[in-house]
Amino acid sequence: MEWRLLPLRIDDAFTSMAIDEALLKLNAEGKSQNTIRFWRWLPSTVSLGWFQSVEREVDLGVAKKYGVDVVRRITGGGAVFHDYDGELTYSVVCKQSDVPTDIIESYKFICGGLVCGFEQLGVKAEFKPVNDVQVNGRKISGSAQTRRWGSVLQHGTILISPNVRQMFELLRVSPEKISDKFIASVFERVTTVEREIGRKPSFEKVREAMKAGVEDSLGIKLVEGEITDEELELATELKSKYASDEWLRKR
Amino acid sequence: MKFAEFKAPKGVIKVELELTDDKISRIMLSGDFFMYPEDAIEKLEQSLNGVKADRDSLLAAVQRFYSSTGAQTPMIEPEHWVEAILRAVGG
Repeated sequence: MEWRLLPLRIDDAFTSMAIDEALLKLNAEGKSQNTIRFWRWLPSTVSLGWFQSVEREVDLGVAKKYGVDVVRRITGGGAVFHDYDGELTYSVVCKQSDVPTDIIESYKFICGGLVCGFEQLGVKAEFKPVNDVQVNGRKISGSAQTRRWGSVLQHGTILISPNVRQMFELLRVSPEKISDKFIASVFERVTTVEREIGRKPSFEKVREAMKAGVEDSLGIKLVEGEITDEELELATELKSKYASDEWLRKR
Repeated sequence: MKFAEFKAPKGVIKVELELTDDKISRIMLSGDFFMYPEDAIEKLEQSLNGVKADRDSLLAAVQRFYSSTGAQTPMIEPEHWVEAILRAVGG
């Protein structure tokens, strides 16, 4: 089975969220093929899960100070700091019938591609239910999935070399916790490609590794293709929702 | 306004609520959990409104929510919502 692989894109958070939703909607309508894309966040962004309260999770003052955007995702899960220089993000959109019905099994299916991709980079990782990929118990990738209209969107992080200290300034962790000791404890729970292999690979190299991993693990062929005008037009329409205060402060 | 959070095996449930005559008169659930479909969270909140804030009544309301909507919340059980709500009630 052939899926489309889109070129690496760099967009602001609102555009990226809108593209993901547009791909999901048009896939469900039979107008977009199953698609995988890798992309980056410019500027760096804090994304919130669908169910999270913005006031309780993010320090909007600190976000403003650093010029970091804040966006609510279409998917559940936790708040994530997406560092422009330190993370490659992926999105998978496909028919629900192309992944296992069981939610955890479907995460495992898609994350299997990442596990295989990490292996290509020399990192021995494994799927950790519900939605993480870990190396020796440390998280290197976190994913979030939604299912709408008969299709699935799963997107998630591939941590290459994020700024962990900035992450904890932005996310609401009590200030006294942001000590060196606390940062050290985070390093016990989170890891990065750079840390595991001792150097920082290029984003393009990581993308190539993940592409190969996904093809092997999912048993599909990825064919490079462009985003369509129809997809971009719908994304442009949807973007204003993600940029709105109403959406951000939904909870 | 009462607030509490409860760490379920996977995910933290945060509860804001108000009580009137021992019944929930306003409730907002938030946190880093997953629920499919997502907008079912509003139905869960609605189905808790007006419910007496004791364990049995809350559990019955949450179970009714699951059976009437078919919503799925991986690794979050009805008891976890109830525990989170009771903490807010007591806090």
